Amino acid sequence: MTTSSVTSAPGAGRSSTVQTGFRKWLRTNIPSYLFILPALLLYAVFVLYPFVNTIYYSLTDWDGAQPVKNFIGLANFARLIQDPLMWLSLKHNLIWIAVGTLTPVVVGLVVATLVSGGGVRGRVVFRTIYFMPVVLAGVVVGMVWSWIYHPLFGPINTVLKAVGLGGLARGWLGDLNLALYALLLAAFWAYWGFCFVILLAALQNVDMELHDAAKIDGANPFQRFMNVTVPQLRPVLTMLTAYTLIGGFNVFDIVYIMTKGGPANATEVLATYTYHMAFKQNQVAYGATLTLVITVLSMLASYTFITLRERGNVGEV
Amino acid sequence: MTTQTVRRRRRSPTAIAAQAGIYVILIGIAILVLIPMFWVYATAFKNRIEIAATPLAWPKEPTLQNFVDAWVKGRLGKYFLNSVIVTIPIVAFTVSFASLAGYAFARHTFAGRNAIFYLFLVGLILPFQSIMIPLYYTLLNFGLLGTYWAMIVPSTALGLPFGIFIMRAFFQGLPYELSDAARVDGCNEFGVFWRVVLPLAKPGMITLSIFVFLNAWNSFLLPLLYLQREALRPLVVGLMFFQSRYTTDYALTMAGATIVSLPVLILYAIFQRQFIQGLTAGALKG
Repeated sequence: MTTSSVTSAPGAGRSSTVQTGFRKWLRTNIPSYLFILPALLLYAVFVLYPFVNTIYYSLTDWDGAQPVKNFIGLANFARLIQDPLMWLSLKHNLIWIAVGTLTPVVVGLVVATLVSGGGVRGRVVFRTIYFMPVVLAGVVVGMVWSWIYHPLFGPINTVLKAVGLGGLARGWLGDLNLALYALLLAAFWAYWGFCFVILLAALQNVDMELHDAAKIDGANPFQRFMNVTVPQLRPVLTMLTAYTLIGGFNVFDIVYIMTKGGPANATEVLATYTYHMAFKQNQVAYGATLTLVITVLSMLASYTFITLRERGNVGEV
Repeated sequence: MTTQTVRRRRRSPTAIAAQAGIYVILIGIAILVLIPMFWVYATAFKNRIEIAATPLAWPKEPTLQNFVDAWVKGRLGKYFLNSVIVTIPIVAFTVSFASLAGYAFARHTFAGRNAIFYLFLVGLILPFQSIMIPLYYTLLNFGLLGTYWAMIVPSTALGLPFGIFIMRAFFQGLPYELSDAARVDGCNEFGVFWRVVLPLAKPGMITLSIFVFLNAWNSFLLPLLYLQREALRPLVVGLMFFQSRYTTDYALTMAGATIVSLPVLILYAIFQRQFIQGLTAGALKG
C-alpha cells in the first residue's frame, strides 16, 4: 500500500492545537476503536470467551448440571487416547479428507479444462448448473441422497433392478463397508462444483503463449496440460486442497442427517461423536476435550491454508 | 469471462468430432448434477401409490397436496417465517459491524491494530465445534436461550472474522483521494466512512451479504443446539425433525425438501454471478 502513509493517523498532522502526548494519543486512537468496538465486543464474548472455556472444561469433570467443576488435570486427555471410538471416528475423518479432497479437486480440474478448451460455448450455463448443489443446505443434500439410496423405492436400486442387476441392489446406507463411501458420494455431488468454478477461474489466467510455444515444440494436449497448465495452477490447487481439508475435520450435517454415525459407528466422525457425547450423554467435559481434537487438526490445516494464501493472490471469478 | 480470445476458423472432421464429444460429456455431467433434484421434485408431486409403483417416472397426476400438508401440518410455514426472522438481523448486523471494523483495519493506523486484527484472524480458522459446548452456557447465562437471539448473536459473532477479512480487503482497494478530500472539507471520521467510502463499498457488501445469508439460511448445527424450542426452529432444523417424524411418507418429506431448497435455487438462478462470487470469496480473495 503505497498510499497508506498519506492517511495514517487521521486527524494527526493537520491539528494546529498543542496537545499533550496522551490526549493526542486518545484523539488519534479513539475514533478507530469506536469503529471496531461492536465487532470486538461480540467476538470476544461469544467466540473467544467460549473458546477459552472449552479448554477450561476439558480439564474438569463437569457434566453440565453440577454447580461445581472439579479440576481433574489431564484425565480427559488420557481417556481420549484410550477411547477406541475416538480413534475410529478420526479414521473416518481421515478417509473423508483423503477421498473427499482428492476426487472433487481432480474431477473439478478435468471438467474445468474441458469447459475452458477452445470453442466451448455456453460456459455460463455449465458453470451455473455445476455450481448449483453448492448453495443447498447440508440437510437438503442429506435428504436428497437418503432418498436416492432408499432400499425399496430409491432411484439407484430401481435402476439396478430395471437393467437386470438387481443382485447389486442393497441398503446402501445400512452396509457397514459402503455407508461411509455412500455419504462421500453425496458430499462429492454437493461440493465438486465449488472446485470446478475456482479452477475454471484460475484457468483463465493461464499464460496461453507458453501453451502455444509448447505446441510448436510438438507437445501433445496431455503433455501441454501436465507440463504447462498444471504447474501454473499449482498455487490454486494447493490452496483449494487445504481449503477442502479444513471442512473435512468438522463435517457434520450430511452424516448426521443420513446415518447419525451408524450403522454400528460405521460412519461415526469426530463431530457426530462429539455431539452425541456432549449433548446426548451430558459428558460435557469429555465433549469439550473431543472438540479440542477437531480444533487442533482443523487449525493446523487452516494455518497451512492462510500461509499459502498470503503467498499469492489467485485471481477472481 | 465467456468471451473467447482464440477461435479457430477452419476445422478438421476429427476436431469437430472431438468438440462434439466434449459437449456430450459436459451435458452428461449437467444431467448427473441435476437429476437428484429432479427426482426429489418429481416425487414431491406424486401420491403414495404412484411412488411405490413408478418411483422414477414423471408424476402422472401431479398433486399439490403434499406441499399443503408439509406447509400446514408439518408447520414448515411457521419455520419458514422463523428462518426469515433470524436471517435478516444476522445479515444486517454482520455486514454493518464487519464494514465498520474492516474500514478501521484498512484505513486507520492505531495502537494495537495488528494485534487486534490477528485476534480476529484466529476466528477465521476456528471451527464452530471449538466453541459450541461452552457457548451454550454463555447464551444461557445471558438469558438468550429460548429466544431468536440465541441464533442471531452467535451467528453474527462467528461471521465477523470472515466479514472483516473481506471488507478490509475491499476497503484497501478503494482510492484514498476522495476520503482525503472529504477530511479536508471538515468531514469527521464517521462522515467520511458513511458518506464517502461506504457507497463505494456496495459490491463488497453485496458479496458478503450473500455469503452470510446462505450460511445463516442453511445453518443446521447451531440452531439445532441453541434454538431447541419447537416454536423457534428455522426451516432447515424443522425439515430434519419433519423427516424423522414422517420417515416413511416420502411424498411429504420430499415436498418438505422442495420447500426448503426451491427458494434458494430460484434466488441462485437469478443472481448466480453474485452467489458464485460470494461463496468463493473465502477461497479466492486474500
